[in-house]
Amino acid sequence: MLHRNEIKLEQHGSVTMLSIQGDITGFSEPFLNEAYKNADTQGASNILLKTEKDIYINSGGIAVLIQILAQTKQNNQLIGITGISDHFKKIFGMVGITKFAKIYDTVDEALAEMA
Amino acid sequence: MITNLNPHAVEVTLCNQLGYERIAMECSASFAKILGCPADRIEDLKTVVAEAALNAMEHGNKGRANAKVTILMDFKDDTIKVDVIDEGNGIRKFPPKPDIAKIIDNMEPPIGFGLFLIQQLADQVEFNQRTDGGHVVRMAINIGRLG
Repeated sequence: MLHRNEIKLEQHGSVTMLSIQGDITGFSEPFLNEAYKNADTQGASNILLKTEKDIYINSGGIAVLIQILAQTKQNNQLIGITGISDHFKKIFGMVGITKFAKIYDTVDEALAEMA
Repeated sequence: MITNLNPHAVEVTLCNQLGYERIAMECSASFAKILGCPADRIEDLKTVVAEAALNAMEHGNKGRANAKVTILMDFKDDTIKVDVIDEGNGIRKFPPKPDIAKIIDNMEPPIGFGLFLIQQLADQVEFNQRTDGGHVVRMAINIGRLG
């Protein structure tokens, strides 16, 4: 079975956007970690995770995202998330992700606030 | 394998492979849609079915390739009941509610989210050993309740 994510790094002013294609599960760990490390190496201070609409995120994916949040906290980086459905906004609130990453409805809204 | 037992019951049998929980998840969504379930409750149902099936594969069946996971869905009295059955011995010790602040500070491992989400999103959850072997997680989603 194919489990992989294509992640593009885009620079928008002071914000480094990680544009994630594909579902976020435990299998996403190496792809997200590599993308985050690339962004960090390039000196990113504000990081925006952008997902596709209607993706599947499971508990393994939530754990992977939290590990990314942990790294951004250690490195004093601001992190935001955009693209997720209302259901996953609710889930992210339940597990506490929203205490450490602001969720934005649109990329434009995120860039305007984070830049 | 998917079996439509009657207009109000569906059974799905999965091989023990991570990723295949999506088959049960999508099947539960189709079933709930036919029954007129609101969209937000369908999303709750999809998550609890997927997480229970994942736990069954990883923890119940301990990743054994030849094991099976069976999902039974039944609708009665405005409620979708879902049984997720594995071949294991059940949960010996329930993990505590994940504390994200401690996880982020590396004081706790990032585990327990699946069970936590099931308990948060389902209206009722039971964990039972089966008399004929295996373990069942029995969940109920009331389709009239707002998600």
